[in-house]
Amino acid sequence: MKKRNIITVLGISLTLLASCGKSFLERDPQAELPESQIVNSKGIEASLIGAYGILNGNVNGTWGNYSSAPSQWLFGEVAGDNAHKGSEATDQPNMNMIEFHTPNSSNDNLSQMWEVYYEGVLRANNTLRILKADQAGGKTVTAARAKEIEGEARVLRAHYYFYLWRVFKNLAYVDENTTDDEAKTKPNKDDVLPKIIDDLKAGIANLPATKINSQAGRMDQNIAKAYLGKVYLYQKKYADALVLFKEVIGAKDLRTMPYQNNFNVLTKDGPEALLVSKHVINPDGSGDNANVGDMLSGLNGSNPVGCCGFYQPTIDLVNAYKVDANGLPLLDGSYRNNPYKSDFGLSDDAKKAYKLDVTLRFDPRLDYTVGRRGVNFYDYGVMPGDAWIREVSSGGPFVGIKTMIPKSLHATHTASGAAYITDLDVNIIRLADVVLMAAECQVELGDLGAAMNLVNAVRERAAKLPPKTTGDNVAAAVYVVKPYTSFPDQNYARKAVRFERRLELAMEGHRFYDLVRWGEAKTVLESYATFEGGFMSRYKGLNYKPQNDYFPIPQSQIDRSGGALTQNQGY
Amino acid sequence: MSSLLIGGGMTTHAFASGLTSLGRVEVVSLMKTKSVQQTPIKGVVKDAATGQGITGVSVKVKGSSTGTSTDENGAFTVQGKVGDVLVVSYIGYKSTEVTVSSKADLAISLSGSEDALEEVVVTGYSAQRKKDLTGAVAVVNVKELKTTPAASAVEALQGRATGVQIVVDGAPGSTPQIKIRGYSTINNNEPLYIIDGVPYEGKLSWLNQNDIETMQVLKDASAASIYGSRANNGVVIITTKIGKSGKPQFNLDSYYGIQVPNSGRFPKMLSPQQTLDIENRLDGTNNVMPDYLIAGPKVGGKDVITAADVDMSKYKYDASSRSDFYQITKANKAGTNWFDALSQNAPTQSHQLSVLGGGEDASYAISGGYLKQKGTIIHTGFEKYNLRSNTRFSAFNNKLRFGENMQYSFTEGFGMGVNTNTAGDYIGEGSALGFAYRIHNIIPVYDEGGNFAGSVGGQYGNGENPVAIAYRAKDNKNKSNMFFGNVFGEFDIVSGLTFRSSFGMKYENYNGVSYTYPNPEFTEGSFNNGINEFFGLNKEWTWTNTLNYKKTFNEAHTLSILAGTEAIQNRNRQIRGKGNGFFTMSSLDYLYLDAASTGRVSEGSGSVGSLFSVFGKVDYSYKDRYILSATVRRDGSSNFGPNNKYGTFPGASAAWRLSEEEFMKGISWLSDLKIRAGYGVTGNQRIPANQYLNRYQVAINSSSYPIDGSLTSGMWHNAYSNPDVKWEQVSALNLGVDFTLAQGDFDGSFDWYNKKTKDMLYLLPLPAVAAGRAGSPYVNIGDMQNKGIEFSLNYHYGRRQESAFKLDLSATISRNVNKIVSLAPSVTQQVYGSFRSMETSILKPGEPLGAFYGYKVIGIYSEADMNNASVAKYEDGKSRAGGLKFADVNGDGKIDANDRTVIGSPHPDFVYSFNINAAYKNFDFMAYFYGSKGNQNYEATRYFTDFGVFRGQKSTRVLDEWSPTNSGSMIPSQVRNASAYEYASSSYYVQDASFLKLKNLQVGYNFDTNKVFGSNTGIKKLRAYVGVTNLFTITKYEGLDPEVTATPSTYPALGVDFGVYPQARQYMLGVSLGF
Repeated sequence: MKKRNIITVLGISLTLLASCGKSFLERDPQAELPESQIVNSKGIEASLIGAYGILNGNVNGTWGNYSSAPSQWLFGEVAGDNAHKGSEATDQPNMNMIEFHTPNSSNDNLSQMWEVYYEGVLRANNTLRILKADQAGGKTVTAARAKEIEGEARVLRAHYYFYLWRVFKNLAYVDENTTDDEAKTKPNKDDVLPKIIDDLKAGIANLPATKINSQAGRMDQNIAKAYLGKVYLYQKKYADALVLFKEVIGAKDLRTMPYQNNFNVLTKDGPEALLVSKHVINPDGSGDNANVGDMLSGLNGSNPVGCCGFYQPTIDLVNAYKVDANGLPLLDGSYRNNPYKSDFGLSDDAKKAYKLDVTLRFDPRLDYTVGRRGVNFYDYGVMPGDAWIREVSSGGPFVGIKTMIPKSLHATHTASGAAYITDLDVNIIRLADVVLMAAECQVELGDLGAAMNLVNAVRERAAKLPPKTTGDNVAAAVYVVKPYTSFPDQNYARKAVRFERRLELAMEGHRFYDLVRWGEAKTVLESYATFEGGFMSRYKGLNYKPQNDYFPIPQSQIDRSGGALTQNQGY
Repeated sequence: MSSLLIGGGMTTHAFASGLTSLGRVEVVSLMKTKSVQQTPIKGVVKDAATGQGITGVSVKVKGSSTGTSTDENGAFTVQGKVGDVLVVSYIGYKSTEVTVSSKADLAISLSGSEDALEEVVVTGYSAQRKKDLTGAVAVVNVKELKTTPAASAVEALQGRATGVQIVVDGAPGSTPQIKIRGYSTINNNEPLYIIDGVPYEGKLSWLNQNDIETMQVLKDASAASIYGSRANNGVVIITTKIGKSGKPQFNLDSYYGIQVPNSGRFPKMLSPQQTLDIENRLDGTNNVMPDYLIAGPKVGGKDVITAADVDMSKYKYDASSRSDFYQITKANKAGTNWFDALSQNAPTQSHQLSVLGGGEDASYAISGGYLKQKGTIIHTGFEKYNLRSNTRFSAFNNKLRFGENMQYSFTEGFGMGVNTNTAGDYIGEGSALGFAYRIHNIIPVYDEGGNFAGSVGGQYGNGENPVAIAYRAKDNKNKSNMFFGNVFGEFDIVSGLTFRSSFGMKYENYNGVSYTYPNPEFTEGSFNNGINEFFGLNKEWTWTNTLNYKKTFNEAHTLSILAGTEAIQNRNRQIRGKGNGFFTMSSLDYLYLDAASTGRVSEGSGSVGSLFSVFGKVDYSYKDRYILSATVRRDGSSNFGPNNKYGTFPGASAAWRLSEEEFMKGISWLSDLKIRAGYGVTGNQRIPANQYLNRYQVAINSSSYPIDGSLTSGMWHNAYSNPDVKWEQVSALNLGVDFTLAQGDFDGSFDWYNKKTKDMLYLLPLPAVAAGRAGSPYVNIGDMQNKGIEFSLNYHYGRRQESAFKLDLSATISRNVNKIVSLAPSVTQQVYGSFRSMETSILKPGEPLGAFYGYKVIGIYSEADMNNASVAKYEDGKSRAGGLKFADVNGDGKIDANDRTVIGSPHPDFVYSFNINAAYKNFDFMAYFYGSKGNQNYEATRYFTDFGVFRGQKSTRVLDEWSPTNSGSMIPSQVRNASAYEYASSSYYVQDASFLKLKNLQVGYNFDTNKVFGSNTGIKKLRAYVGVTNLFTITKYEGLDPEVTATPSTYPALGVDFGVYPQARQYMLGVSLGF
């Protein structure tokens, strides 16, 4: 009896052991896919879309994606002379350090930039990796489509590396053949520009001239060409670049493409669009896939936006839009004489009595770039000055307009409850950019006439802008912009082209990178700091050092690599 | 018989006797008198309380080597004669001597021992006498524990056991942060709970404190290693009340209390005028306070506000857009005390009814309870209903015993962030308490139309009205239906060999809803409305099978062997729905997702996991003098891949009872002395599932792109793998002494331990070059060490002396020194705790977990410093006289990010408690102190109140700002455009947070029920008491409460104070009625 009981117990125990064998302890991921599920046509296409998904500089969420914005407003503009950080002086102090060129390696804006764009690189790499696996095995993707996918992924990768390169210069290069273990300790000693060029060339070779499936967001041959030209321009390979720019421009006439359409949610994917970060409000109204990078520029104060009041145009930029009697900009720097500064610095009573002087001569692009007191701001009403500005004493009297959309479109084109998160696309390369880059090439190659024609195309288009008005419904300025009649010498031409580039593309993320590319960052920014510091003392006394042409590698990343990554010189 | 009274998960007899030892029973010796010659003497030993036979009782003939032990019915036969004296002893009972006076069968009754050392405690699948413990096991005095009113039993555990540190906050139903012997891991440090034998991980607010019968904390690895892979953080073993043989005993316990916010501790802020004076001074202006803050689009201080603007006919709060919105708000020139506005006196009440009873072959315990606690922060509260039953049956002459434990509990938290799942979930700069520090006090609570006022207009910063936050969250609910219990059976196969099987089930069904109301008065507010609702379930079954063999050989060798298997499987599944664009928010009856016009979205997620274990345990003792215990457990877990699926966790311990040795017998003042040593290995596997696999995700928010204008879904590699991920292990050495002196007047224990964590499961962030923004896998890397000592000393007066005055004093002190020994070779340090531009905390070898990190303040820059090039300045060139001066740690002559260093520690040098229990005649008195010494808090709220980051309130500290004439001050002078270095993370934020609290003070009176209700009354007991909790706090800390739970982060940001929910003082009145 007793024996039998013992046997029974042992039997139960053994059964239990058996039933709790291997399968009991194997659990598949929940709501996630293992590798085995993704190496097929569907997985490859989805991975490619995922790779496009980083064009907006954001993995997910809305807050925090500022420095990685496709517009590059922080590094490209705030670090330059076009924009102030804005908001309150103490808000986002790490952005102040970018603005004042005193960044240190613990700046969260740097790690944000580094991490997000490497995420983009890895998504492109993963697409190429599984595409390769598929082509070597099941071939669920047709050869023709495989070629396109390779082109798309490689242009995306080129773009992500280029964005990283402009900010950090010294990068670790990883591609679809790099193993995870190699990547963990890859030093940042690679010259990535040749790899970027290879990818862009592959893009030109593999991509069709027109959009795949007519999908506006897809890469195409023109984008690859424009981008490759841009990279050549950064390398000062003017002739190589010019060939590509000419192919991109072709017979397109900028003058037929309204300037303001570039900043209008209703005219996305217009003829001028080349590479854009496409944005959309999610079906549930959330903003992860919208223009979150620029959200902080949402106006502060008593206006329909109600956000954060960052990214304010500088007094210097506003004055750069002054034109002479001939409708030409003041290339000699005299635009800083007798500066126009709206109601800034006026005493209380004078401020209350301030009235906009509508007799000033301005390039009309001013009021499509800057919101200033007394001028109608979309359908929000007249910009009232300080009431829309978070801290005038540190941010100045102006607000930006290129990232804003009309109030009437808030209901349909902003994230629910957040009028500052819009689905406005962001231009990464647009035709005017290419035209002006071509003009630069012509200047450097000595064809000043061709350069002038290109610049004039941009100016003639600007001349078509409808005037902005005041509350009394009169033109807010004497708007005048006229073509150049001659470029007397190369130096003049160079100045004119560069000045035009500033006016046309202000607040679109190019300025600081252009200054560095031109080797002008120190002189221009120190001079700007003296001028701007005359109004806001915090800008005074900039000492721009050679290493300020690039930024420190994030310390957290150096730490994670176990020291495989090394800090940039000077930091 | 007594073995009916088994609790789940422990062996029969021992526990039963342990229980008996708690009840007071009379010794009933039934002897018959007649003397005969040497002959078999028969008898039965029964439990005096239950009348059940007791198995395994030692029956010895005094002065001879003859002896036996009782069978499963309590019967024995021993060779003896009339006149012999039988010594009858059994653990948990008072030994008794019986003189054989006749040949007739003896009926011997054993009563439970009052001796604390005889108390039986459950220590992992089995039970032991307290005196036989070889590991570090804290036996909690549950009676004392229950005197502290708390929504969670864990909260009340604070200071009740050495080595157990608990940080609580004042939120009703909050989840306290508990750690046993320091932080053993950088991951979750919550212990494993074993409730009636069924393992449980998670918060315990559903458990009714009154249902707890015993509570043991297994602190060291030798004691805990039987629980293997989940025991790294210690194990808390809880058994619930079970029935007793006899008539039903009813008990009603009720209390009612009022919690009063400790307004004396509210931070002191400058008045609006004082703040304006500073601003005028800094800006060189002469601004005066405006009468109105806002009137439609006009903002006070920037625009001229005329009488026409403040015409209430224009007022429109209930608008759908900014342009439609018209608010009129007066300035509160006197200043709003936001902390007062956010606080209230809050009632709390608790009622419990229980009945215990049973008969020969069955017993039962049933109880029900209700607890309701409102929070001292407005619109917060917690409610709990619970029902418990356990029943026990026996059959086949008590060879088969079976029963069930079942608890059902319904809990509901409401209001902002209450009843969250993680300690500190609702702390943060965006919380109501965070904003109470930050919003400008010129803003009144309400505007001219009676709606909430706020920072709209932006001229007074971007604080959000905290009263509005709390009010709008008033209907937010977090509900849980928790079923927890087990059924079990055990069977005596042969004498001493018992098979036991227990099937436990946790089934939690939880749901909640939160509402989003428009907050147009907030400068960054929105007109959006919406609801967010979730439903989910947590299910876990545990099937445990054990074989236990117990035998005493030659009366000297006691051997107990246990072998078992355990299988656990859990599943979680949750769905969430959101919607917005409601036609109206005016009625909750309308607010269902069906009525949402926009943004309807559904989400769902889940997890599964399983664990299978085999384990064994051997306990051996020789004459109570030498005690050995060894355990081993092998666990397999679904969390680990094929490379490392299984882990083995051994443990061994020994004790030597010196006081039993002949050479110690003469020491009269020494009643008992035992030294203990133990070593064991435990594990941790609490990581998310499938770390060993690469995983890919299709997600709207993180991998989609509007490739053709509308959103197209894509995929990304969201989680990188570590195929080699394995168990985190703690190996710990424990040495201890237990002593009882002067006939039990004094007792205590001392423990020293050294706990080493290796292969720490570490969410090692991969470089972005390798993983982008995707999840990095856990890796086993890094070592942590906790060394400590614990000492407890108790004094008892009265019971032995049989005095009317009884006094028990107990004092405990625990010291733990935590140190991260190493991180990954590639990681020299890991900075975390990002809060705006600060990073507050660091993981660094040689430093404790979560050490504070930043610049070290060495003074304030003077004019002389500024002119002295050898004094290091901020690298940004914006140092100034009056700004914080930092140490140039790397000595490179400038202050930059490389000069950040460790600036403090959230860990106390030691925690201590002191407990007084006294009784005189019908009165009883209790006072309970708890303190922590040497811990620091990171008072992050100073970012806003001291540095002028965002326009808002300023602390009165700035009145003592540095100036050339006040050069001794350590408060930086106020400034505009401060360098970012000034308000970066620095030791300015790190403050001493040592404290001593009188946690509980109580006076009770036991009524003589016969006098009160007459001699025929059925009422057996009536006690009434008054008490007060948190009567005082002695601390230098200036934040709301020196007790600060961790802020959730990748790693816990310990002691970082963004505005905690402070503990309130509570006055209470209670009554306990027995009938």
